[in-house]
Amino acid sequence: MELLDYDMVVLGSGIAGLTAAIHASRESGHRLSIAVVSKLHIMRSHSVAAEGGISGVLYSGLDNDNEKLHAYDTIKGSDYLADQDAVEVLVKGAPDEIKFFDHIGVPWSRRDDGRISQRAFGGMSVPRTAFAADKTGFFMMRALYDELLRYKNVDVFNEHFATEFIMDGKRISGFVALDMQSGEVKVFKSGSVIIATGGFSRIYGFTTNSYSNTGDGTAMAYRAGMPLKDMEFVQFHPTALIPSGILITEAARGEGAYLRNKNGERFMKRYAESKMELAPRDIVSRSIISEIRAGRGFEDKGTGMGYIHLDLMHLDSKKIDERLPMIKEMTIKMLNIDPSVESIPVRPAAHFTMGGIDTDIKGRIGSGKSVFSGVWAAGECACVSVHGANRLGSNSLSQCSVWGRSTGIEAARTAGNRRTKKTRKFLNAAEKEEKKIYDMLEKEGNLNPYELRDSLHDIMNSELYVYRSIKGMKNAKKRISSLLKEFPDIYVADKGRVYNTNLRDVLEIKNMLDLSAIAVESALRRHESRGAHVVAEYPKRDDKKWLKHTIISKSLGGMRIAYAPVKLTKWQPEERKY
Amino acid sequence: MKASRYDIFMYGSIIGVPVLLILITIGLYLGGGYAYTVTVLAALLVLTLVVFAATGIKEIYIHRTYPGSRKVFGRGTDEHASTKPKVRKGEEVDIVLDRFNNETSKMDTKTYKFYADRLTTVLGAILDIKAYQDNTVSIRCNCRMGICGSCGVVVNGKPRLACETNLLNAVENRRVRVSPMLGHPLLKDMANNFEDFFEKHRSVEPFLYREDERERESARHEYGQGSEDLSRFLPYSYCIMCGLCLDACPVVNSNPNFAGPQALSQVWRYYADSRDQKGKKRLFDVDTEEGAWGCEFSGSCSKACPKGVGPASAIQMMKGELMKRIFEDK
Repeated sequence: MELLDYDMVVLGSGIAGLTAAIHASRESGHRLSIAVVSKLHIMRSHSVAAEGGISGVLYSGLDNDNEKLHAYDTIKGSDYLADQDAVEVLVKGAPDEIKFFDHIGVPWSRRDDGRISQRAFGGMSVPRTAFAADKTGFFMMRALYDELLRYKNVDVFNEHFATEFIMDGKRISGFVALDMQSGEVKVFKSGSVIIATGGFSRIYGFTTNSYSNTGDGTAMAYRAGMPLKDMEFVQFHPTALIPSGILITEAARGEGAYLRNKNGERFMKRYAESKMELAPRDIVSRSIISEIRAGRGFEDKGTGMGYIHLDLMHLDSKKIDERLPMIKEMTIKMLNIDPSVESIPVRPAAHFTMGGIDTDIKGRIGSGKSVFSGVWAAGECACVSVHGANRLGSNSLSQCSVWGRSTGIEAARTAGNRRTKKTRKFLNAAEKEEKKIYDMLEKEGNLNPYELRDSLHDIMNSELYVYRSIKGMKNAKKRISSLLKEFPDIYVADKGRVYNTNLRDVLEIKNMLDLSAIAVESALRRHESRGAHVVAEYPKRDDKKWLKHTIISKSLGGMRIAYAPVKLTKWQPEERKY
Repeated sequence: MKASRYDIFMYGSIIGVPVLLILITIGLYLGGGYAYTVTVLAALLVLTLVVFAATGIKEIYIHRTYPGSRKVFGRGTDEHASTKPKVRKGEEVDIVLDRFNNETSKMDTKTYKFYADRLTTVLGAILDIKAYQDNTVSIRCNCRMGICGSCGVVVNGKPRLACETNLLNAVENRRVRVSPMLGHPLLKDMANNFEDFFEKHRSVEPFLYREDERERESARHEYGQGSEDLSRFLPYSYCIMCGLCLDACPVVNSNPNFAGPQALSQVWRYYADSRDQKGKKRLFDVDTEEGAWGCEFSGSCSKACPKGVGPASAIQMMKGELMKRIFEDK
């Protein structure tokens, strides 16, 4: 087995991962040996699919905007579950990140005077979302990739699928990864690892996310004993194309698009009178589903899916071409619908997982005495938490950049003291994992993994969607545990070593099963409705009992559940109205 | 475990045929008026079975070909949340996959039957085949919305992104043929090896250059950029690195050392960016037979590009700028 030894490894190659690698390299004067390990070609991570933009108060005072207002919007949007000290870090850091991307080549859309343009977004009081047409994430990714090519001390490992961390107590000492191209199992040895593996919305069948968003890093962290936080909170983006789930950016509504029901009515007036279509995503998603349930939606004949209309027809077609070109390209290519002539059929789809690896304000994993050493999490896989129970659109790109930078710098500063030794224990753990992977490849079984995956998708789609119920979640729990029991009977039909996507899919399915069970368990226990988590039996927010984070970690008997207080600084919880 | 519709068809056929034979035998044995009634009943049964078998086998073909497959789950309880069509209607298409076999270094061509509706994409069909007909099929994919650049393949002879190619639009003679790109080394099935391609991109140093690097890294103040400056390089920044232009380029296919349309378009992208200060040195670096001058302007790269980048025009403008140098020298 090949052993690769690095001062520092970044696992994952989205905006958070690449930002971390760049700032770590810069911080060390390009002296540390750094590896970026990704299960994809690194420029193809899901961050490319971010469309609308990145939030940040670029011009304080303009439109009466300031950082305090950005923080307030974010906290109110989070339904007061966000840690307010972390939110303050986010809003303070965000403007610098936009400038950083300007300096590595992102083609920001500009005002007439050459300054960066900003557009309106859901839940934001004023326009503060910087954008590059409607391909913001893509441009940021390409700029990061190109910037990284400068650094000779950074090695890129494309298409290496990490399977398990190797721990030495609470210190990390590396991880095992399957090289997809050769089929060899390799072990990465490093005392400093940044986990930036993204979210896990692929546990749902109907999702805006790329195929890769299976939460591998989060599941690995859990299996390695690290705590996960607020896993019950999954954001549903109100406007995803049916039946594919492809995202139609919130920027469409930011630029003035309407949501209409079967009767042509702008129904948002019933649910968020002042913000209308630009209410936060949890509220808009619930409104859409309420309309569909009340019989005011449309029904797609082929799939039986209910939907409503997103209407851009009243917008200037020049504005669509300039600011929403990708939306137009996609609806034409995928649905044969020109948005300036026809309405777009949409319904809410799983979009972002607010929960993830429990980190403190610096991105370190765990808290207090039980902080893990040498390992950080950044981006969607981490839960700091700045998004609380519901993320505001365009806050995720800021979060990825801010914590990508800070964890990268922190890891680089301490990497010198964290070099690990190649011990017998380390090698044993690696060999054990290698055997496990090859056994999976060679063993017999009777179960088609993709049928199991589709069963999971069905469960999550129906029981842990926009509206939840205790009864439904209990049912989901039962069915997921029976899927977990069946998993060992799974069969990998592809026996080849080279680019075995069948084997990779099976490993991903295991991660998704683990995370689904955790998400359902967390959700089942939260007896209130807050942000994206709305339970029929407990329709009200309950600050007395539930203003706290759910922390789940692995224990001998299964899951151990604990709760941690929310950090409040300047803003007291109040009723959330838009 | 609940039996699905498909099982009922299948078992229906298995039980139905012997029952039919028995009925006919009884009819013949009884003779006379009974025979007439029984034969009519038998004929009706045959007819029903034929209809069932015709629809049933289709479904079996899609969903039940996996040898060990035995799990059938009920669909979701929320009627609005079901992900998969309950009944798949559609048009029958033969999907021919040219699958590169890395062990024999030969192409294995396999044909799969598929029932497509009007929204099915080529990628969607291949992933469905992988899930329900043949788990060993491999293709590289990720975003399925035309922005990550993973799924460049050749569809009926044309370089395309599998995820944004509508299957029924691509059908010719009830068939769609999908092959890997031949302008890149092959890896497995429809997936190519991109290492050379990435190296070419890297070789042209595709990143912003500023005289004051320290200021660039600190990024305290934004660079201003007018909309005219932006429009000069914006089209070339749409490159998703899918590699389709190299597959289409006749020069790359005969001379692998040619930098190729993707890398050259990126030279122009950074050269035309008003924030870049490397100036013409960028162009001089590719003032070679294997750089800009290698291009024979067939224009096929621009035609193949799914994002409208137009590398061909970038290379011609580059040649124009380089020509100026010759005259300036004189």
